[in-house]
Amino acid sequence: MNTAAHVFRPRLNAARRAEGLVFWLFRGATYLILACGAAVFLNIVFKGAGTVFKTEAPFVNVAFLTEAPESLYIFEFEGKKYELGDTAFRAFKEANPAAANVKTESYVYSAGGIWPCIVGTVLLVVGSMTIALFLGVCAAVYLTEYARDGAFIRFVRLAILNLAGVPSIVFGLFGFGMFVIFFGWNVSLLAGWFTLAFMVLPVVITASEESLKSVPKGFREGSLALGATKWQTIRSNVLPYALPGILTSSILGIARVAGETAPIMFTAAYVVRDKLPWDVDKASDFFFQGVMALPYHIYVVSSKIPQNEYTERVQYGTAFVFLGIVALIAAASILLRTRLRNRYKW
Amino acid sequence: MNEPVPPAAAPGPDRAATFAIRKKRVKLLGLTVDDCIKVFFGGNAVVSIIVLALITYFLVREGAGFFGQNRQNLQVYRQAGLEYVDFIRTQSDEHTALTRYLSDLRLRALRQLTETQGLSLDAANTALAPFDDYSGKFSDAVEPVRGLVSELTEVATAIKTKFIVNEDKKEERRQLLAEGKTAEAAAVVITSVDFAAELKPLLGTLPAYQAANAEFTAKLTAVLAAPPTLPTPELTDRLQRFATLARDYLATFPAVERNLAAWDFRQPVPAAQSFTAFIFGRQWLTASFWQDWYGIIPLFVGSLLVSLVALSLAVPLGVGAAIYINQIASPREQKLIKPAIEFIAAIPSVVLGFFGIAVLGQALRLLSQQSWLSWVPGFPYSERLNILTAGCLLALIAVPTIFTLAEDALNNVPRAFKEASFALGASRLQTTLKIIVPASLSGIISAVLLGLGRVIGETMVVLLCAGNRIAIPDFTQGLAFVTEPVHTMTGIIAQEMGEVVRGSIHYRALFVVGLVLFVVSLLINFAAQKIVRRYRISIG
Repeated sequence: MNTAAHVFRPRLNAARRAEGLVFWLFRGATYLILACGAAVFLNIVFKGAGTVFKTEAPFVNVAFLTEAPESLYIFEFEGKKYELGDTAFRAFKEANPAAANVKTESYVYSAGGIWPCIVGTVLLVVGSMTIALFLGVCAAVYLTEYARDGAFIRFVRLAILNLAGVPSIVFGLFGFGMFVIFFGWNVSLLAGWFTLAFMVLPVVITASEESLKSVPKGFREGSLALGATKWQTIRSNVLPYALPGILTSSILGIARVAGETAPIMFTAAYVVRDKLPWDVDKASDFFFQGVMALPYHIYVVSSKIPQNEYTERVQYGTAFVFLGIVALIAAASILLRTRLRNRYKW
Repeated sequence: MNEPVPPAAAPGPDRAATFAIRKKRVKLLGLTVDDCIKVFFGGNAVVSIIVLALITYFLVREGAGFFGQNRQNLQVYRQAGLEYVDFIRTQSDEHTALTRYLSDLRLRALRQLTETQGLSLDAANTALAPFDDYSGKFSDAVEPVRGLVSELTEVATAIKTKFIVNEDKKEERRQLLAEGKTAEAAAVVITSVDFAAELKPLLGTLPAYQAANAEFTAKLTAVLAAPPTLPTPELTDRLQRFATLARDYLATFPAVERNLAAWDFRQPVPAAQSFTAFIFGRQWLTASFWQDWYGIIPLFVGSLLVSLVALSLAVPLGVGAAIYINQIASPREQKLIKPAIEFIAAIPSVVLGFFGIAVLGQALRLLSQQSWLSWVPGFPYSERLNILTAGCLLALIAVPTIFTLAEDALNNVPRAFKEASFALGASRLQTTLKIIVPASLSGIISAVLLGLGRVIGETMVVLLCAGNRIAIPDFTQGLAFVTEPVHTMTGIIAQEMGEVVRGSIHYRALFVVGLVLFVVSLLINFAAQKIVRRYRISIG
């Protein structure tokens, strides 16, 4: 059969060409976005990997991941060029008294590692997500299981929507005004936790609500018909099945909590701190100490020290580790979700 | 479940025992356990309302004092005579601006002579001697007035310092009294400032000023009467323009004198002025030796411009990608691209800001210096961090938001619309652009608005990449303003909050900026919701 004779055969005319052109424009826009995202991502990964990984065993720059930030000293001594961190430089001067007055170039935070920042970020994320998940899931349970449509619920939903649009720096100011000053917690983990938790609350509520709604109605009706109370129904027949979805929601939340700098700038983050968070005299001090955090450290190293070959290592390395941690948490959450989802099927 | 047990079951212990579901209810304050649980969950739902209220409360609590303090700030500005001096200072500053115009003109003329006409540098300088004479006379004419300004500045600053020292002492006494140390409090010596007496020498200079001004006017008029000749008509036109500007400038002198004569330090600053000075103030100047100004306009304009640049890039890309994914792409492409774009949303903003400092700023500047791009307004430029750099990165932040929401909106268009359009013989392009997009327009617009909200509230990218210069960009060159550095509302809070003294006027001003930001974001959100609800196409 001659296909050319087919009545519905697409013919190449001006309209069709225009269509093709416009569609290519849209396609171009899509791939341009992806290219920009990839450019940022790959730039950080390639340059950062140089700091974090090494070519010889153990392949990972352990010092960078496990030490605290130090100042970097660059100097020439007896015809050799040295790049030493603060402690190493002091040891060098002790060993070579002649080097005491050597001319050095120094850059803060450019030697050593970022271990305290990693610890701080993980603590901030874990604490604030615990608070946000607790408040958010409970609120979502109320909204889906108990609430009847009315003025009050509409008001609650409006508040959630508006809370989602509040800029993160405003949360920072609020946290500063309320927790740091009014409650007198000073710059502390606790203040950071609550500030971040309130910031992600709308994300967690919205997503939890969605996954609670997706649990079939029959589950609830069956349980209620057997004489279970409302709470028993929710506890045994709704929440377990909604959990995978709720954990998915926490992915989005974690990415935001870990990534935001503005809210912790005045509530929880220190530019530099010698002690690790568990070096405290008494247990209650743990909650009332500021920590170093990766996003804030990136801000500090990219704005407060000049850009050159010596500082670039720590800048890219920190950014790479930070991106890696955000991706890792997200991946863990996705894995957990698929495992839970495989268990429950309806 | 919560209904009371029917009374029929109550009498007769034997009957009650046989009834299976009969339970004893534990009651707490008249609530059953289930009621308590419900109240508990409800309480959590209210948290978001409470948080919103608390944000408002604490921003207002910390920021409200600003207007009172700013009023006092302006009051001192007047009482100490700073305002008086500023009348003359403005006059002298405007003269400086005109001088700058002249030196710019000289640079052009020199370039014209050496490059186009091929004169040597010495010959060109000789040719410009009459012009140098002209501009020299023009710039020297201001000397008497400028001398007066620097004299008066010292007087006014002294009065202001005296006043501030007094205020500090009053505060000290107040604190001592609050601590109960009456004796120490009494020992604090406060000599109240007699502004009328202090201002006498300042106001006494009016005749001197009038004399200086007359001399100044005479000199300027004489200079302007004899303009030099310039090599090309274009430059002569510029000189003419300068002469017009200078004459306009001369025409303002009587007004300055009138202002000075009519000025009265006793005139109170109206309460509203501390508000208008903030909302319409064109200067944000802190920690200055002369006078601090807290005007939000440069910051607001900065935020707005950066956001507009970001949106003008992000809207076509985001909406285009949403249309592509929703209408054109194959299911496999959809499955790959959607999570990828959502992943872009997960890139932390501070990392993007760092990328801007480390790579993009430099790359864009290099691009701007390519000769084949010199037709672009503002190119080439030298400031690495500016509106454009920040705008490009913010676009990357806004794109996932706009994409996701716009895609949702497109998805919500009922299938029947598309099918009906195809059945009428419309092509895919026609269906997409004339049926699907208009039907979801409200959703797309609200997506754009929410993208704007996201961008205007973004802090780290603008703090790192917008250049942080507190100034309203120069709009006279058209689109070239995008290559100028600005400061933003979010950036100023993040930058200055760590350095201010708690409770000071500067500290409170930052909270008021936060309040403005909060209100703006609420308004944007509100508009987005209104549009969705109002213009949603009813289905069915």
